[in-house]
Amino acid sequence: MTVLEPFLFPFVQRSLAEIILLSVAAGLLGSWVVLRGLAFFTHAVGHGSFPGLVLAGGLGLPPQLCALVVGLLFAGGLQRLSRARGGAYDVVTALLLIGALAVGVILASDVFHSGSDVETLLFGSLLAVGAQDLVLAGVAGLVALAASAWLGQAWLATGFDPDGARQLGLRSAAPDALLLLLVAVTAIAALTAVGVLLVAALFVVPAATARLLTRSLRALQAGAVLLVAAEGTAGLWLSVRINAPPGATIALVSGVVFGAAAALRAPVALIVASRPVSRGG
Amino acid sequence: MSPADLVGVLVEPFTEPIVQRAAAGVVLLGIVGGLAGCWVVLYGLSYAAESLAHGSLPGLVVAVAAGLPLLIGTSGGLLVAAAAIALVARVPALGRDTAVSIVISTMLGLGALLALAPSTPRGLAALLFGDVLGLSTADLAVGVVVAALLAVLLAVFHGRLLAVGFDRETAARLGVRPGLVELLLLVLLGLALVVVVPALGNLLAAAILIGPAATARLVTRRVPAMLAVAVLLAVGSGLAGLDASYQLSTASGATIAATILVVYLLALGGVMLRRRSAPSAGPGGPAVR
Amino acid sequence: MQWRRRSAAGSPAARSPGSDEASLCEVADLAVGYPGGPIVLEDVSFAVRAGMLVGVLGPNGGGKSTLLRTLLGDLRPRAGRVATRGRLGFVPQTDRSRLDYPVSARDVALMGSLTGRPWWRPPGRDDRRATADALARVGLTELADKPFGELSGGQRQRVLIARALVQDARLLLLDEPFAGLDLPGSDRLLQVLDDLTADGCSALVAVHDVDQARRWDRVLCLNRRQVAFGDPATILTPRVLELTYGGAITLGGHEVEDLAPTASDRLARPGG
Repeated sequence: MTVLEPFLFPFVQRSLAEIILLSVAAGLLGSWVVLRGLAFFTHAVGHGSFPGLVLAGGLGLPPQLCALVVGLLFAGGLQRLSRARGGAYDVVTALLLIGALAVGVILASDVFHSGSDVETLLFGSLLAVGAQDLVLAGVAGLVALAASAWLGQAWLATGFDPDGARQLGLRSAAPDALLLLLVAVTAIAALTAVGVLLVAALFVVPAATARLLTRSLRALQAGAVLLVAAEGTAGLWLSVRINAPPGATIALVSGVVFGAAAALRAPVALIVASRPVSRGG
Repeated sequence: MSPADLVGVLVEPFTEPIVQRAAAGVVLLGIVGGLAGCWVVLYGLSYAAESLAHGSLPGLVVAVAAGLPLLIGTSGGLLVAAAAIALVARVPALGRDTAVSIVISTMLGLGALLALAPSTPRGLAALLFGDVLGLSTADLAVGVVVAALLAVLLAVFHGRLLAVGFDRETAARLGVRPGLVELLLLVLLGLALVVVVPALGNLLAAAILIGPAATARLVTRRVPAMLAVAVLLAVGSGLAGLDASYQLSTASGATIAATILVVYLLALGGVMLRRRSAPSAGPGGPAVR
Repeated sequence: MQWRRRSAAGSPAARSPGSDEASLCEVADLAVGYPGGPIVLEDVSFAVRAGMLVGVLGPNGGGKSTLLRTLLGDLRPRAGRVATRGRLGFVPQTDRSRLDYPVSARDVALMGSLTGRPWWRPPGRDDRRATADALARVGLTELADKPFGELSGGQRQRVLIARALVQDARLLLLDEPFAGLDLPGSDRLLQVLDDLTADGCSALVAVHDVDQARRWDRVLCLNRRQVAFGDPATILTPRVLELTYGGAITLGGHEVEDLAPTASDRLARPGG
C-alpha cells in the first residue's frame, strides 16, 4: 500500500471528513475542558452515554439521541449529587461511571444479546460513519464556535479566579452549566468516532498538548483544533495501514504526541522551579 | 411462595460447584476490596483507583498474550500508569485530573490495540469485564495470599496511614514519611487489583474498592469500624450480585458491580434524608478528608 | 529611595466644602465572626470619605482580612452596622489566581466588566474602552498584552487594581498588596494609589509595614478589636503600636497575657 492509498477508499474519506469536522468542536471545547479542569466530567459523560447507546442498538432508536438523553441525565444527576455531597464527589462519580458500564454490559449481553457490539461502542467505529454523523459533527463545530465567542469571557474569569469572579458579579450558575452541557453534547457527537472510553483522546489530550505549547487563549484554541485534525488523520491512516481499530490508534497517536511535547517543554518547566504551580486540578 | 421456598431459591445457585468456587472468589474479593478500598476512599483516591485499573490494561494484555502471571501484568501496568500520571501531573499547567485522563486514554488505546490484535488468546471482553465463574484454583490461592498480606500490612501501618491521611504536613513533622505512605497505598491498590481484575475485569474492578468503603464511610465514625463494615458490605454485595446474576442470567461481574452501586445509592439516599430532617445530627464519617 | 509624601492638594482637608464629603463607607460598632465560630473582630468604628487613603494595620489573625471580607459582603456582621456607597472593588493578592493561565493583563482587567452586565451579555466596546482607560491609569498600557503570569509582582497588583477600576469601584480594598514586592515595585504601586485617591477614589489597604501607612490619610489599627483610627501623625504612638502588634509581653517578670486594648485605650472617635 502506498502512503496515500488509504485515503482513496470512500469510507476512509468519510472518516477523514468526520475527523476534520469534529476537530472544531473537540479542539475548542477541549481547550475549555483543559482550562477548567473538566477532564473527569468528559470521561464521565462518555461512560454515562454507554447504556444509552446499547439501548438504542437494542430498540432500534437513533443512537446519538439516546446517548444524549441518557448522557445528559447521567451528567445532570452527577452534578446534583456533587452539590449534595461535596466531599464525596469523586466517589459518586467513579461509582456512577462504573455503574453505567455495568448497566450497559448487562443490557447488551443479556437483554439484547449484542456482545460483539460492546467493543465497537467502547472503542468507536470511525470507519462506519454515515451522513448523519457528519452533519452532527458539523453542527457541533458551529455551536462550539458560537458558544465560545459568547461565553468565553465568563468561562475564563471563573477559571482564572473563581472567588474573584463571584465577587466581580458573576454569580449565575448558567455559564458553567452551559459549558458542561456543551461538553456533553459535543462529546456525544464524537462517540461514533472514538467510542465511549476514548473521548479524552479527542477532547483532552490534543488540547493539553496545545496548552503546553502556547501562551495565549487564541493560540491554545487554534492549536487544539489543529492537533485534533492532525492526530485524527494520522491515527486514521495508521489504523487502515495496520488494520487496527481507529479509535485506539488515534488515542495512541495523541498520547505519543503529548509525550513528545511534554518531554520538550516540561524539563524547562521543572527546572524553572520558581514558577508558581497551578492550584489543584 | 413461602419464606422457606424463597430462601431455597436464593440458596440454590450455591449448591453448584462452579458457583461455590465463584463464591469463594467473591468472598476473597470482598475482603481485599473492602480493606484496600477504605484507604482509597479516605485518601480521596476513588477516581485514581478507577483510572489506574484502566491504565493497567496494556500490562494485563501483555501478560495474557505472553503467558505471564497476571500478577506481573497488573502490577507492572499499574506502576507504569501511576508513574506516568505522576510525571504528567508535575507539568504546571495541567491538573491531576487532566494528567489521569491523558495517561489512561493512551493506555486504554494501547491496550485495546494489543488485545484486538489477532494473536491475543483471551477475548477482550473477558479482560475488560472479568469472568467470575471462570476463576481457577490458582486465582483463589493468589486471593488468599493477597488477603492475608493486605490484612497484615494494614494492621502494621494503620497509624501511619491514618496520620498522613488526616494531615499530611503535620504527619511529616511527627516523623512519618508521607511519600512512603502514599507509595504504600499504591502497593495496596496494586495487590487488591491483582485479585479483583480477573473476576470483575479491568473496567469494573474499582467498584468493589470504592463502593463498599464509601458506603461504610457514610455510616461509621471511626476507621476500624469503617474497615469492618466495608468488608462485610463488599462480601455481601458480591454474593448477592452473584446470586442475582444466576437468577436473572446476566453477566456476573457487571451484576456484582451494579449491586454495589445500588447499595451505595440506598445508603446515600438514607443519609441525605436523615440529614434533611435533622440537620445537626447524622454521622459524618471518619474525620479524614 | 524615599517614600513620596502625599501632596497636600490631594488630601481631603484641602478639599473645598460643598464637594462630595459623604462617606463611601461607614462602619459602626462592628463585630464579626466566621460561621459557627466565635467573634474574631469587634468594636470597629470608622468612616472613609472620597479621596482617602487608609492603611489597615495589625498582626496576622488580627482581623485585617476579616474586615475586608465583611465590607465585601462575604461575612455578615454579628453586631453593628456597615454602610457603603458606590461599588467596592477587591484587589486580592495575586497568587490567589492562576499565574499559568493563558490570560494577558488586558484579559484580566476586562474581567472587571463582569460586574456591570448580566452573564449572558459578552463584553462590548464600552467595556474594552474602560479596560484600556483603567490600564492607562495604572500605567500598564505598554504591557497590556503580556501574559499575566510573566509580569512582576507589582505589575500584577496594578493589573488587579485596573480590574477594580473597570468595575467602576469607588472604594478599593487591597489585601497586603505590597507583600513580596521590591522597592521599585512598591514605590510604583504607592504612586498609583496616590494618583487614584487624588482622582477621587478611596482605598483601604491592609499593610504590614507601618512606615508605609505613616504617610497616608488615616490608619486603622486592628488587633481582634479596633485599637485606634485616625491621622497617623497623631495616632501611631508606641503605645498604640504595642497594643496593635503585641501579644504576650513580660512586664517586671510577670507575663501579661492579654494586651488587648480596653475601652479607655481607644484614642480616636470615628471620623477623626
